[in-house]
Amino acid sequence: MADNANPTILNAADLPTRRRLSSHSATGKPRSFLFDDIVPADYNDPFATAATDSGLSRSFSSSSSDLNSDSDELAEPIDEQEVYDLISTISDPEHPLSLGSLAVVNLPDIHIVPAAGSSASSRMRTVLVEITPTITHCSLATVIGLGVRVRLEQALPPRFRVDVRIKEGTHSTGDQVNKQLGDKERVAAALENGTLLGVLRKMLETCQ
Amino acid sequence: MAASPTAPPTSAGTLKLIAPLTPPSSTRTWLTVPHHSLPLVATATSDKTVRVYSLRSFTLHSTVSGGHKRSVRSCAWKPGTKGESVLATGSFDASAGIWRRWDMDMGMARERDLTGGVDEGDEEEDEGWRFSVILDGHESEIKSVAWSASGQFLATCSRDKSVWIWEEMEDDNFETIAVLQEHEADVKCVAWHPEEELLASSSYDDTIRLYREDIDDWTGIAVLSGHDSTVWSIDFEPAKPALSGDSQADASDRARWIEAREASGPRLVSGSDDRTLRIWRRRPKQKQPAPPTGQGRIPSIIRTHSIEEDWYEEARLPVAHERAIYSVAWSKRTGRIVSTGGDGRIVVYEERWSEPKGNEEKTDGLNPEGTEASDLPVARTTWSVVASIEMAHDVFEVNHVTFARRFDSGRTSDDEEIIISTGDDGQVKVWTVEI
Repeated sequence: MADNANPTILNAADLPTRRRLSSHSATGKPRSFLFDDIVPADYNDPFATAATDSGLSRSFSSSSSDLNSDSDELAEPIDEQEVYDLISTISDPEHPLSLGSLAVVNLPDIHIVPAAGSSASSRMRTVLVEITPTITHCSLATVIGLGVRVRLEQALPPRFRVDVRIKEGTHSTGDQVNKQLGDKERVAAALENGTLLGVLRKMLETCQ
Repeated sequence: MAASPTAPPTSAGTLKLIAPLTPPSSTRTWLTVPHHSLPLVATATSDKTVRVYSLRSFTLHSTVSGGHKRSVRSCAWKPGTKGESVLATGSFDASAGIWRRWDMDMGMARERDLTGGVDEGDEEEDEGWRFSVILDGHESEIKSVAWSASGQFLATCSRDKSVWIWEEMEDDNFETIAVLQEHEADVKCVAWHPEEELLASSSYDDTIRLYREDIDDWTGIAVLSGHDSTVWSIDFEPAKPALSGDSQADASDRARWIEAREASGPRLVSGSDDRTLRIWRRRPKQKQPAPPTGQGRIPSIIRTHSIEEDWYEEARLPVAHERAIYSVAWSKRTGRIVSTGGDGRIVVYEERWSEPKGNEEKTDGLNPEGTEASDLPVARTTWSVVASIEMAHDVFEVNHVTFARRFDSGRTSDDEEIIISTGDDGQVKVWTVEI
C-alpha cells in the first residue's frame, strides 16, 4: 500500500481460510493463470489478438477456476469464506504482501445476498466486498479495488454481481473510488489498457 | 411459436422471445442499432468488430472488422442514405470510424432506391465493408456516437469529458466543427433531437447537457440536473407523441395537453446508475408570462434573444430496476419506453391519460400565465409498466435495448414493433411485447 512504510501485517497463519484446513478443491488441478484468457501470449501488444476484457465475463465457462461450475456450486454453496479465500491472496501492488495479511480485505466485510426479484432470479447473488486501505489517502485504492473486482468476476459464476467498495470512513476520496469501481464501462476499458493490465496481472499472480 | 416458459403468470404483460440472432458473439456485446430502412442491425462488440445481422433471417449478415484496436463500444447508421449504407463506429481505442457498403452488396436490391437505374455499385463484385475515414481527436475511449436527424452532423463523446461534432463537408472529408467541454467527467451518451439541430449528452458527472449552434459556435444551452449518479443513456421522444390507452380524461384536457406538448416539442428520457428514469421537458419560450396582476412590471426574466433553454423534470417512470440502468429507448411507433440494466431485466412503460382527479375541474394544468410555480404544466398523463421480463439474457447483464421494425415472416403488419436487447453474454435477442 502506498506511502505507508509500516503497515500492520497479520501473520498469514492467523488468517481465516478453508483452503489449508480441508481438502476442498473441486478439481485438484492447478489453477491456470488468471489472465490466460485475456492476455495474449505476445504481451508486448496486448491488443494484437481478439482476447480482450471478454475474458472477464466469459472465463467462467473455462476450466480455470474450481468455482465456475454451477453444479459443483449447488452441492456446496459459495459463502463469504470462499470469497475471502479468492481475494485474500491478491498481492498489494506495492508491498510484497497479500491483501489478507495487510487486512485490506477482511472476512467480516464480505457479504453475499440474494438478488431481489421474482423466483426467476433466485439464483442471482450479489457479493459486496468492502476494502480497507491501509492509509486514508492511499493512491492505489482504485487499483486494489479493481484487482478484487476482476478476481471475483473471473472466479465466481456469472450469476454473481460483484460490488467492491471502500469501507466507509477509511479513505479520503472513498466515494470517488466507489463510483469508478462500480462503473462497468471504465472497468472494461481498464482491462484493455496494457499498463494497468500488467499491474493487475502481477497482483493476481499470487492467487493460486 | 411456443410460449416462453419463463413468462411469469402475472396480469402485467411480458416479453416473448422471437429469436436470438445467430451466431452470437463469443465476447461481450455492447449495443445494437437498427438500420433506418433495410432489415439490418449493427452490433458493437468487444472483439473490435461490428456484427451486422439480418432481421429477416436472424442470422449474421456481415462483419465490420479490421479498423479498431480495441472494443467497439458504439455504432450508428447514417440516416437517409440510399444505395449505400454508412456506419459510424466509436471505440475504446479513442477513434471513430466511418464505413461504407453498397446496398446492392447487402443482397437487398429490392430495398434500394430504384430510380437510379445504374449506379456505381451495380455491376461490381461485392466489395463488402469499406473502411472510409478515421476520425481522430479524442484522448480516451469513445463511449457513444450519434448522427443528427439530417445526417449532416456526427456527434462523438468520450471519457476525456468532451463531446465532438463532426460535419461531412464532402465525400469522406469530415471537419471538426465543435469540441464541447462542458462536462466534468466521462461523457457516456450523445443523442440528437429528432427535428432540431439540438444535441444532448449525458455523463458520469450525473448531468445532462444540451447544445445548439449560436451564430457560428456550438454552445451549451441547458444543464439538466437531478440524477444522483451516472446518466448512462438518453433518448428523445419522437416528433409526434403517441399516447396509448382509452382516455378517461375529457377531450379538452387532452387537447390542451397535446397543445402544450407541441409547444415544448419532443421530450427527453434519461436512465441512470441511480436506477431512475426521468422525463425532461422544455419550457416553451413564446409563452413569456404577462405581468400577473396588471401592475405593468416587465418580468425580470426576459431573455428573448438568449439561446439558453429551460428544461425541467416532468415525470419519473416507476422504479423497476434493482441495479444500474444502462439503456433506455423511446419508441417512434408506439410512444412506449423500454429500459434495461445490470439486473438483467427489460421493462416496457406506457404513457396513458390520467384519470380525472375527482370532480374538481383542474384549471391550472396548463396555465400559461401562472407564476413560476404553476406554469409547470401539470402532467395529465401517467406512466406505468406494461410488460417486463427478468433474466432476459440468463444471468448476464443487459447493456442495451432498442425498438425496431419487425421484418421476419412472423410479422402481422408492416408497422409491427420489436425490441432488441444486447448482453454481456454476446447475445442479441429479438422480443415482442405481449400485453
